[in-house]
Amino acid sequence: MARRRREIGKAGWGRTAMSAVISFIYFFPVLWIILTAFKTHTDALAIPPKFLFTPTLENFANVFSRAYQRGGEEIDTHFDLFFFNSIFIAGTSVLLALAVGTLAAYAFSRFPLRGNDTYMFIVLTTRMLPPIIVIIPIFLMFRVTGMSGTYAGIILLYAAFNLPFTIWMMKSFFDEIPPEVEDAARMDGSSEFKVFFKICLPLVKAGLAATAVFGLILTWNEFLFALLLTGMQTRTVPVAMAQTIGGDIGVRWGLLAAIETLFLIPVVLVTFLLQNQLLRGVTFGTIRR
Amino acid sequence: MTAWGRFISENRGPLLVTPALAVLVLMNIFPLLWSFGLSFFKYRANRLQEPEFIWFKNYFKVLTDDRVWNRFQTTAMVVSIDVLLQLIVGFLLALMFEKQFPGRRVLLMLVLTPMMLSFVAVGAFFRYYYEPTFGLLSQAIKSITGEPFILLASPAGAIAGIIFADVWMWSPFVMLLVLAGLVSVPKHLYEAAEIDRTSWWRRFWTITFPYIRGLLLLAILFRTIEAFKLFDIVFLITEGGPGTSTETIAVYVYRVAFQYFKTSQSAALGYILLFVVIVLTNLYLYFVRRRAEEN
Amino acid sequence: MADIELRNLTKLFGKLAAVDDIDLDVEAGEVMCLLGPSGCGKTTTLRLIGGLEQETAGDIFIAGKRVNKLRASQRDIAMVFQFYALYPSLTVAENLAFPLHAEKLSKAEIAQRVAHIADVLELSHALNRVPGRLAEGEKQRVAVGRAIIRDPQCFLFDEPLSRLDVALRQEMRGQIKQLLGDLHKATVIVTHDQIEALTIGDRIAVMRDGVIEQVASPHNIFAQPANVFVAGFIGTPQMNLLPARGIAADGARLRTRLLDQEVTLPIEHRGADLPRADATMTVGIRPRGFNLATEAGPDTLAGTVDLVEPMGAETLMHLRVGEADVRVVTGYRKAIAVGRHLRVRPRAGQVHIFDDTGQRVEP
Repeated sequence: MARRRREIGKAGWGRTAMSAVISFIYFFPVLWIILTAFKTHTDALAIPPKFLFTPTLENFANVFSRAYQRGGEEIDTHFDLFFFNSIFIAGTSVLLALAVGTLAAYAFSRFPLRGNDTYMFIVLTTRMLPPIIVIIPIFLMFRVTGMSGTYAGIILLYAAFNLPFTIWMMKSFFDEIPPEVEDAARMDGSSEFKVFFKICLPLVKAGLAATAVFGLILTWNEFLFALLLTGMQTRTVPVAMAQTIGGDIGVRWGLLAAIETLFLIPVVLVTFLLQNQLLRGVTFGTIRR
Repeated sequence: MTAWGRFISENRGPLLVTPALAVLVLMNIFPLLWSFGLSFFKYRANRLQEPEFIWFKNYFKVLTDDRVWNRFQTTAMVVSIDVLLQLIVGFLLALMFEKQFPGRRVLLMLVLTPMMLSFVAVGAFFRYYYEPTFGLLSQAIKSITGEPFILLASPAGAIAGIIFADVWMWSPFVMLLVLAGLVSVPKHLYEAAEIDRTSWWRRFWTITFPYIRGLLLLAILFRTIEAFKLFDIVFLITEGGPGTSTETIAVYVYRVAFQYFKTSQSAALGYILLFVVIVLTNLYLYFVRRRAEEN
Repeated sequence: MADIELRNLTKLFGKLAAVDDIDLDVEAGEVMCLLGPSGCGKTTTLRLIGGLEQETAGDIFIAGKRVNKLRASQRDIAMVFQFYALYPSLTVAENLAFPLHAEKLSKAEIAQRVAHIADVLELSHALNRVPGRLAEGEKQRVAVGRAIIRDPQCFLFDEPLSRLDVALRQEMRGQIKQLLGDLHKATVIVTHDQIEALTIGDRIAVMRDGVIEQVASPHNIFAQPANVFVAGFIGTPQMNLLPARGIAADGARLRTRLLDQEVTLPIEHRGADLPRADATMTVGIRPRGFNLATEAGPDTLAGTVDLVEPMGAETLMHLRVGEADVRVVTGYRKAIAVGRHLRVRPRAGQVHIFDDTGQRVEP
C-alpha cells in the first residue's frame, strides 16, 4: 500500500515503537528494582546480573515479619510499623492541611483581601524555601516542647508543609468556578455557609481529590523532616530505608528492593490515575493547561 | 442580624484565612524569625552555654569562609549542569510525545513515574546501580573496558552520578511543561505553515518556540529553586564524598547544623540561602503572572 | 480544462461521511463558493483540496495534476484560514513575507512584494505591529495578504469574513471580490453566509450532509433552485414551500389544490412533463412573489394575517392559511393589520414546482 500522508498532530505505529523502546529504557531503573525485589540475596548480587531467575516472595515476607535471621543474629525490621507510620502520618497531616487550606484557598479566590498577592507570595515562599533553614529552629522548638519523636509534632509539621501547596492548588480550582453560580445561590437565599458547602465544595471535588493525592505523595516521600524529627516509634519508611543503606556492610539489597517496590506501588498508581492533573500538581496550580 | 453575625459576614475573608495563617505562622514564620534571631547569637544546640549576642559575626564568618564559597561553587556547578541536562532530555522527551500515537498514554506514564518517586528511593536505586562490584553500571563498564569501575570514587564521577540520578528523576517535569506548551500551539498555525511550505526549522522557531518559551522559563526557574535544595539524593548516594567534592550547600548546612552543631552559624548560612531562593521565587511568580496576562 | 477537479471525493470520519462522493470543477479564474449550513461538509471539502485532510476515496486534480498523495506544502496553493492563523510572534511584514521564504527570493524582492501587498490592502501603517495588536479587520487583511503574496495555482478561503462585524463584512466583501477579479485564479470560498456567496461567487455549490445539492451561478441558484432544500436555503425571508396536488394543466396555467383551496397558478409552460394531474407536489413561492389581490378570484389564495414584522421599507406578513403559515412581503404602506382577511395572487414567473421527491420540475 502506498504511504499515506499524515495529518498534522498524528503519528502512527512507528512512533509507538520508537517511544516504547525509549520509555522502557527510561523506566528501566524502576523495573530493575522491582525485579530485584523478587530475587534471593545471592541473585541480587549476581555477577553478571541475572535477567532470568526463579522469583521468590521471601523478601516481601521479610519486610513484614518482625524478625529475620542473618548470621545467627535476629534482626527486627519493624517495617510493618514504619509503613503504618508513613500511612498514618501522611493521611492525617494531609487531611488537616486540606481542611484548613481549602477554607483559605476559597477566601483567597473569592474575597479579595488587602494585600492578597502578598499573602499568596508568603504562602508560596514558605514552600519554596529550603527545608534545611526552617528545620533548625523547629528542631530546637520540638526539643524544648518535647514534641520531637511524637506523632503530633510530625503531623503538625507536615500539615504546615502541605498547606502552601494545598492553598495554591485549591485556589486554582476555586478560580475556575464562575462566581455567577454562587451569586445565583445567594439570590435564592442561601447562607454563605451553604454556598460554600453545598455549591462550591461539590464543584471542586475532583480538585480536592487531586490535591489530597499530591499532598499524600509529597508527604509520603519526605525525608529530611522525618529524619530529624521522628523517633524510633514514629519513624517513616524513607528514613528507615535510608538507614538500611547506612549500615555499610551487607546491605540486604533484595529486602531493600522489596521495601522500595511496596513503597512505590501507590505512587505509580497515582501517577497513572492523575495523569491529566499532573501538570497542575507539579506547578502548584499555577499552570492549568 | 446580630453584631456577631455581622462581624462574621464582613470579615469572612480574613476569618477563613486565619486558621491557615495560624498553622503557617506557628510552623514556618515563627521558626524563621527564631532562626533569624539566632543568626545574631553565638549558640550551639549541644552545649549548655547561654547564647551570646555577637551582631553580624556569624554572617561575617560564613561569608569569609572558603568552605562556604566552595560549597556554593559545587552547588552552582551541579545545579547548572543538572538543569541544563534536564532541559535537553525533557525537551527531547516532549518532542517524542508531542503527537498522538497508539499507546501514548501508557508510555507517558512510564516516563512520568520517576518524578513522582521519593528521593530516598531514587537515591537507593542509584546507589545499587553504582555499587562497585555488582552494580549494573559498574558491571556494564567493566565488561567493555575490562577494568573494575567505581563511579563514586572520583569527584567528577560522584558529581556525574548525582546529576545522572537527578536528571533521570526530573527531566519528566520539564517534559510535562514543554508538552503543555506544544499542545497549546493552535493547530491551524501548523496548517498555515504547511501551506506556506515552511521548513521544519523555521516552523519550530517562529511558531512552536514562542508558545513554549514561557513554560520553559518556568521549568528552568522551578528546577533551579529545587536543585538549590538538593539534599536527599546527595545524602543517599555519596554523603557528600569523596572528600567534600559533592557536598552541596544544603548538605553543608545540614552538617554545620546537625553534625558540627554550630547552630547559629548554620542559621546565618540558611538565611543567605533563603535570600537566593526568595529572589528566584519572585522571578518565578513574575513569569507566572506575565504568562497569565499573555493568555 | 478545470483548474480544480474533484472526482468521487469522499471523506469518512469514523462511519460518518463528511463528504460523500462529490464531483466539482472549478475553472481557472472562477470563484466557487461552497455554501451550506454548519456540518454540511463544506470546510472538510476545502481542507481536502488543501491537503490538510486525507481523503477516504476519490481523486483531486489541481491544474490537471493528481495531488492525492501530495502534502499541502507540495500542492502550490494558498489558503486563508477562518481564524486567520497569523503567526503571533511575527510582525505583519514578517507574516506577509513568510510564504516567500520557500521561494528563495532576494531580500529586496521580498521587501518590494510586501510593500506592494501592504499598499493594496491598506496595511502599510501596521507593518511593524504584531497580530495581537491589530484590529479584527486588519488581521483579516493580513491573512488575505499572506495568501495572495505568492502566485499559487489556486486560492482557498475558509469562512474569510465570519469574524468581522456587519459593516466591516460588507466593505470586505466588495474588496475581496475586486481582488479576486484581478488575480484570476481558481478560488474556492467556504461560507455559511448566503449574501457573501451570492455577491462574491461566480458560481455557488450548495452542500448538505456531505452532498452537493446544486452548482449554479448566483442568479440561477436563486431563480431556479434545483430542489426543495436549495429553494428553502437560499433567499430571505425563506421561500414558501407549500404542499399541493395537481388538478389540471393547460398552457400557462396549472390548476392545483393548494392548502385546501383551489388555486390556478401561472406557470411558463415550455412543453416539458408537468406533474401528472392529481400528483402530489411542492409549490414554492418567494414571499416577494405575491401581489395583494383586491377581490376573490381563481388565481388567489385566501388567509388571515397572523403576525406582522416590519422590516423597514418592506413588511413581512405571516398569513394563516388552514394550518400553514405563508410569508408575504409587501411595501410597508400596503401592510394589513393582524386579524384581517387577505387574498394574495402569485405573480407569473415566481412559481416553482417540485415533484414529490423534492426535485425541481421545469414546466
